[in-house]
Amino acid sequence: MLSCKEVAQRASAMIDGELGAWDTLQMRMHMAMCKGCERFIGQMRITRDLTEAVDEAEELHDVDDLRISAILSQLHEGKQQGG
Amino acid sequence: MRGDTGQGIGDEAELVRKLAAGDRATFEAIYRKHNAAMVRFATGIVKSRATAEEVTQDAWVSVLKNIGGFEGRSSLAGWMFTIVLNKARTRAGRDGRSVSFDGAGEDDNLAAAFDGRGRWKDMPELWEEITAERIIAGRSVLQHVNAAIETLPPAQRSVLVLRGQQGLEAAEVCAMLGITEGNMRVLLHRARLAVRGALDGLA
Repeated sequence: MLSCKEVAQRASAMIDGELGAWDTLQMRMHMAMCKGCERFIGQMRITRDLTEAVDEAEELHDVDDLRISAILSQLHEGKQQGG
Repeated sequence: MRGDTGQGIGDEAELVRKLAAGDRATFEAIYRKHNAAMVRFATGIVKSRATAEEVTQDAWVSVLKNIGGFEGRSSLAGWMFTIVLNKARTRAGRDGRSVSFDGAGEDDNLAAAFDGRGRWKDMPELWEEITAERIIAGRSVLQHVNAAIETLPPAQRSVLVLRGQQGLEAAEVCAMLGITEGNMRVLLHRARLAVRGALDGLA
């Protein structure tokens, strides 16, 4: 039987679907009997989802328009200098 | 995880062709998808956000200049992040900093959470109120998550951005950072534990 500490160590591997069948079974058995670990795994899923959501929620600002223009103009300068 | 780079902006080969042709709309789409993550990644290496922004800007110019030489041996995102990494490393080196991604000395924050028999000392909370839409202390939960990511040590931050957010292949991330897959998993887990700790403080 896994300890809570061992369940916590395997949490990311479990929610990422990277655990083998035997380890997954061991985790499920522990979580069926341990409310603390069930909650912890739930927290780690929320953490993973919010971490991904941060990356998706980013919006372009006015300053990005300026940067994009700056990048493109540097590129054109480079081309002219290079012949 | 989110998977392929081309998601939502079409097939990768087509994307590369359009970038090489100087299509501004394609460049804007790809900039929008990756720029903030690139800055977040570079900030872990050069240690100042302003420098990271400069490095990333410089990397974008390189990406567009060299896109014709992209051979598809890695994903487009992997190739672009490698350019950011190289630029950031060069800059860090010039500033007398060296960066390794083995995560030595970067611990996880659960060390004191268990008793001698490996059981929770305190029962984890049920996070019923933690959602992306929630505002706590004047900031959205997502802003709190962002702030937590900003404080991660370099190795954890790099793995979280590349693997946990941008969804690069594990092998690609490991090759880029010079770490093993086992090491990468530990770093991703530690990074999430740190973010979890910050969220737990809000619950």
